[in-house]
Amino acid sequence: MAERYLTCPLCGFGFEPEDALCAHGCPLRSHCALVRCPACDYEFAEQPGRGSWWRRLLGSGTAEATDGECEALSVDQLRAGQTASVLSLSGSRNKLAVFGLVPGIEITLLQRRPACVVQVGETELALDREIARRILVRRPGGPPAEPEGILGTGGG
Amino acid sequence: MHRLLLVGNPNVGKSVLFKNLTGRYVTVSNYPGTTVEVVRARTQLGDRSVEVIDTPGINDLAAANDETRVTSAMLERHPEDVIVQVADARNLRRALLLTMQLAELDRPMVLVLNMIDELAAKGGRIDTAALAEELGIPVVRTVAVRNHGTERLAAALPRAAIPSLENVEVPHGAGEYERNRLRLARINELMEGTYSLRQPARPSLAVRLGFWAMHPVKGLLLGALALLGVFWFVGLFGAGTLVDLLETAVFEQRLSPAAITTLDKMLPFPHAHAIEAVPGSVAVPLSPVHEVELFAWQTEALRTGYTLTPGAELTAGQATRRFVHDFLVGEYGALTMALSYALAIVLPIVTTFFLLFSLLEDSGYLPRMAILVNRVFRLMGLNGKAVLPMVLGLGCDTMATMTTRILETRKERIVTTMLLALAIPCSAQLGVLLAMMAALSPAAALAWMLLMAAVLLTVGRLTARVFPGETSEFLLEIPPLRRPQLGNVWLKTRSRIGWYLREVIPLFVAGTAVLFLLDKLRLLERIASFGQPLVVGWLGLPREMANALLVGFLRRDFGAVYVLDAATGPEAILDPLQIFVAMVTITLFMPCFANFLMIAKEHGQRVAWAMTAFIFPFAFLVGGLALRVGRWLSGI
Ligand SMILES: Nc1nc2c(ncn2[C@@H]2O[C@H](COP(=O)(O)OP(=O)(O)OP(=O)(O)O)[C@@H](O)[C@H]2O)c(=O)[nH]1
Ligand SMILES: [Zn+2]
Ligand SMILES: [Zn+2]
Repeated sequence: MAERYLTCPLCGFGFEPEDALCAHGCPLRSHCALVRCPACDYEFAEQPGRGSWWRRLLGSGTAEATDGECEALSVDQLRAGQTASVLSLSGSRNKLAVFGLVPGIEITLLQRRPACVVQVGETELALDREIARRILVRRPGGPPAEPEGILGTGGG
Repeated sequence: MHRLLLVGNPNVGKSVLFKNLTGRYVTVSNYPGTTVEVVRARTQLGDRSVEVIDTPGINDLAAANDETRVTSAMLERHPEDVIVQVADARNLRRALLLTMQLAELDRPMVLVLNMIDELAAKGGRIDTAALAEELGIPVVRTVAVRNHGTERLAAALPRAAIPSLENVEVPHGAGEYERNRLRLARINELMEGTYSLRQPARPSLAVRLGFWAMHPVKGLLLGALALLGVFWFVGLFGAGTLVDLLETAVFEQRLSPAAITTLDKMLPFPHAHAIEAVPGSVAVPLSPVHEVELFAWQTEALRTGYTLTPGAELTAGQATRRFVHDFLVGEYGALTMALSYALAIVLPIVTTFFLLFSLLEDSGYLPRMAILVNRVFRLMGLNGKAVLPMVLGLGCDTMATMTTRILETRKERIVTTMLLALAIPCSAQLGVLLAMMAALSPAAALAWMLLMAAVLLTVGRLTARVFPGETSEFLLEIPPLRRPQLGNVWLKTRSRIGWYLREVIPLFVAGTAVLFLLDKLRLLERIASFGQPLVVGWLGLPREMANALLVGFLRRDFGAVYVLDAATGPEAILDPLQIFVAMVTITLFMPCFANFLMIAKEHGQRVAWAMTAFIFPFAFLVGGLALRVGRWLSGI
């Protein structure tokens, strides 16, 4: 799927359109023309390179309509014992894929300290915070989150 | 069909199955990465002689790292072999990912669903027939630890077939990740009709224990408890009670007097051995200072020390006999020193240690330690995964050096190898240390542990600086906690003891022979004077301890046993601070020559020599500093 590999114009994060949150959770579904970078939450049209300089400067997404719907957080932001489905991976993705950890799969956070331990299927994986931050999952049902700090840390 | 290649994910039971098929034992442990080298054996299946090959576990055929290199090379080298893929039945998804990768090789295959017992315990089901239909290869169910299903596997082997599974359509230019994703999508379809799993409502005790072991507080408590258990069993019971029993009751009271009497009869020359009362006792240790004595006794026994009959002149024949006599039962005698060290001191220690260690290995506890130490290891340019080779190093540093292959970057492998060679004591030495702690004081033991930890940290940091490169991210599969299989624990302990003794006895005999010759040639005295500035001046030890350091070069546990003998034997010549200094110095020595060879094999001659050139001077440096700090502390 190399030809459909997208790069976020704001933070340079590379991902596949399937992993873009809008395509998954936005009420407009496939009619939504925007994709949202899973790493920094910036939304842009699928043709890369269209982010204007002031957007980059301000750095935040546009479409209010999707806020609250397209919610994602990284695994280490789950509570211990919570299960959520994976939205996207970044970094060395294949290292996770060989354990069966790919977008679409359910994953449970077993503990966060001293290192994160997640369960995927029947496999328990211990991983660094840095890896955990790059596994984005759909916010599990429950109390709505505070508006900021969803993808928070560092903004990409 | 000439050859079977056992291939599969790590820790799925390949090595157990290998043993079932061939009767040959290879190390089986409950963590990924136990098998690092290919193991082969011939066996008779039906009317044919077949070679079976056990390979290191892999998760991804395409990954080009050290871990998978051995297995991929094996697959390439023997293109006509039958692939027997071993799978953990609970974890069908991951197994099928490998199946699909293997299927692309277009070679005859059989799929073994192992650990059916654990699948059943989880309330899982696999429709084997449907799966075989979909894959187009025979699928066999086994419970390898109970040797169930081995005949079924043997019967299915002739039906091995090239999988009929059509390969996934991969767009041009797609990377390995995209491929695996597509494969996994296909696997979801495959599993829909063939696999189901019901999670139990209440986690079992093993599962809960498994959680505790990873918990920041409970995990540390559990770790401390495990350490205490090892200390009691190995340091107090093994190195105390058992060693006393073997050393006094067997060697000093029976074997050596008998050997001395026999030799004196066979090789007469005018001399008389000293006779002393040798006390023996059997006691159950409670703590380093408390023990319950069960019984005690005393026997008059012949000692190795003797005096020549006054006024007698030795003829040439008598002198020769005396030489042989001394070689076997003298002060540096093959029987009275080498064998009594190896069998009365090392054997009980390694037996108790390996027994506990195998239990720990089989329980699956060790990888959980990696989680606890990950942060600390980061400081040394390592990640938690490196704790596996390090803990294995407590068994044998040489074997552990080979296990560093499970680490991802060269930098991590080198740092770990260095720390193994420097500061991780191996089984016999650890036992001697524990015994000495018991004899010495808990404070000294604590000081030794803290010092080693400090050395590990500083040298680890320095090595990480010297060797440029990245530390890989910490990603480690945690095996389930399992009740150890006592049969396996026993087999593993036995094979390790056997291997250890085979390695230790010849070296101990050779080392003793060297000491004996040097002594006869009056060179030992010379070496002691030559080493005086270092041994007496810098380390503050009595001159005789030059011997311990000398044999310590050969094998550091030999040196440690020598120190133990000098520290707790009948003629104790060391005070507590000296024991401490001697132990610190010898612990930091390179373990043994075999270890040097292994480092050279894994990382090249240059690295091996560089490490040696650093390790020995560093050992003396730290030993001397420990003495000075110790003196200063006792001065205030
Ligand atoms: N319950 C159960 N446990 C099993 C079975 N087969 C193997 N085991 C356990 O699984 C663990 C791993 O077995 P090994 O044979 O060392 O696995 P391996 O595939 O050779 O592992 P690597 O060499 O590390 O790749 C051990 O603790 C075995 O006792 C089985 O059928 N049932
Ligand atoms: Zn971005
Ligand atoms: Zn194995």
